[in-house]
Amino acid sequence: MTAAPAVDLRPAAPRGQHPGNLASQPSRSTRKRWFDGWGLLMLPLALFLLLVFVAPLALVLARSFTDPVTGLDNYRDFVSSSLYVDVLANTFRISGVVTLLTLVLGFPYAYLMTLATPFWRGVMLIVVLVPFWTSLLVRTFAWVLMLGDTGVVNQTLLGLGVVEEPIAMIRNSTGVIIGMVQVMLPYAVLPLFATMRSIDRRLLQAGEGLGARPMTAFWRIYAPLTLPGVAASCLLVFISSIGFYVTPALLGGPKDVMIGELIVQQLSGVLRWGFASALAVALLVVTAALLLLVARIVNVGKFMAGDR
Amino acid sequence: MQSQLSRDAGTSIDIRNVVKRYKGQTAVDDVTLSVEAGEFLTLLGASGSGKSTLLNIVAGFITADAGRIEVGGRDLTTVPPHRRDLGMVFQHYALFPHMTVWQNVAFPLKRRRVAKAQIASRVRQALEVVELGHLAERRPAQLSGGQQQRVALARAIVFEPQALLMDEPLGALDKRLREQLQLEIKRLHHELGTTFVFVTHDQEEALAMSDRIALLRDGRVVQIGSPQDLYDRPASRYAAEFLGESNLFTGRCDGRTFVDERSGAAFTVAAGGNGVELRNGSALVVRPEHVMLAADDAPLPADHNTLDGLIRDVTYLGSGLRVEVALPDGRHLVTRTGTRSGLRPQPGLPVVAHWHAEHAVVVADDTGAAVSATVSETASTVAA
Repeated sequence: MTAAPAVDLRPAAPRGQHPGNLASQPSRSTRKRWFDGWGLLMLPLALFLLLVFVAPLALVLARSFTDPVTGLDNYRDFVSSSLYVDVLANTFRISGVVTLLTLVLGFPYAYLMTLATPFWRGVMLIVVLVPFWTSLLVRTFAWVLMLGDTGVVNQTLLGLGVVEEPIAMIRNSTGVIIGMVQVMLPYAVLPLFATMRSIDRRLLQAGEGLGARPMTAFWRIYAPLTLPGVAASCLLVFISSIGFYVTPALLGGPKDVMIGELIVQQLSGVLRWGFASALAVALLVVTAALLLLVARIVNVGKFMAGDR
Repeated sequence: MQSQLSRDAGTSIDIRNVVKRYKGQTAVDDVTLSVEAGEFLTLLGASGSGKSTLLNIVAGFITADAGRIEVGGRDLTTVPPHRRDLGMVFQHYALFPHMTVWQNVAFPLKRRRVAKAQIASRVRQALEVVELGHLAERRPAQLSGGQQQRVALARAIVFEPQALLMDEPLGALDKRLREQLQLEIKRLHHELGTTFVFVTHDQEEALAMSDRIALLRDGRVVQIGSPQDLYDRPASRYAAEFLGESNLFTGRCDGRTFVDERSGAAFTVAAGGNGVELRNGSALVVRPEHVMLAADDAPLPADHNTLDGLIRDVTYLGSGLRVEVALPDGRHLVTRTGTRSGLRPQPGLPVVAHWHAEHAVVVADDTGAAVSATVSETASTVAA
């Protein structure tokens, strides 16, 4: 009979059961050093960034004030022409719409992922990630084949008699937005899913127990807790969208030029390197200003208050 | 759906033939249980006994496969949780992390569309009851575990629910805090007069807090009664071992005589017992505080049962001593005495352990042979 006696005969936790435990615990120095040997590992990346990011940026900034002549001419040209300002505005408009659409599509998708069984969650994750495995160019051309006047969608609609004439879905902002949303969707879904997965669903139950209808509990409790993920996904999508070139070039029309296209055109088309540099700087400054503004309004940090 | 505003507005809860199965396992097995209005009832049981499932069925978070739940005579079996008007406190607090303490407590009132001015005064009141008025603007993450659970309590009582359900609310707290909150919850029950249903696996907690305890095992209620009932008159060996420490002898009972199968010793027991049929396969329970020790030549009262032994171990507990007496057949007996009893227990001292017949309870031996017995094997260790 191996019955455990009342209290005192229980063997003390067997020693040496985890012999590695104590030995493998490195004695951590409490002294914080600003720079130690491990810091050197950062050096290659720091050098790389300095060489290919900071230095060129400085060059671009310098060129925007010096090419072809020193002064503010490039910026004056940019501000004085409504055409260029319209392109910038159009860039922000399309990026904004794309951000909103990816959020509207990505939010329920990410939410469903948190509810799915592990198998279906895996499937849904792969479906989101597939675009990452395909070249952007290939995908954009695929949209041309899909959405063109003689493309799959229009042929089907015409064949079914739903429409008389093909719907114009490329060479306008519709095409640009469809193409960009598809490309950006993973960037929206992944941060949303990461945030939602960490939300304790039992809070919804608690809310219902306190008298909230299931929908009310969702919007009052769950939705606010997803805000950090919403903010992260919106930022990612918006910033990435601003710099798009291939998709608007292939799917957009003459009225939907985005600033990326304009910069390329100024660089390789008309060789106004100084003006192209000024456009790039303007884009950077306006984007940074917008982000600061959003950060002030949303105050993402507030939702994390106290979460150590 | 207006909640009663009067105090001591306790509501009875009737659980009728409730069954819940999970993939072949029966979590709750045909439980029928009545919680009286204003009562503090504890569902006590080991993990897997179905106590938490049962509470969640009452709250409406889990749907029973069969049976009915009635609160205050109203059938709630198919009513969704948000319309049951029951306060719930969880082990994991379940405070809303994006809201302040104030907003958390105001939440149930806002859902009930209580007027703004009234929300303010009721939230303030509820926070005062749990003594957290000064932390109203904090967020949950800025509070300690004990403070968080008190906020959860305030949130569960602020809307004056028909009953308060608590699912191991103190399970995540350390011992001192747990004992402090036990007292606070008891006081709250006393002040509000609301019906409380409390789930715990901690028998001391159950004994200290409850009006009545329902002991659950494998999804069934094996005994229900006051803490005294369960402690002094356990219905089964399982109940005796689950609540408190006990000395157990297995054997046969014949009338007022119990024969220990191991040593053949015969003990006198109180007549009648607690209504258990006294028969083969029964066990004799003697609580440690009822076992007294005497020097082996001391005269003893005639109606006491006696066992000779050697003191094996003495543990100082502050308020008293816990003494283990090794019996000749290798088992040992646990006793508790005051520090000022006549005898000075020392290891190795031969003693007579004795107890009054009234203090021995015969119960059905419902535990398998492999389960630990308190009068246990110590043969090998005693020799030294």
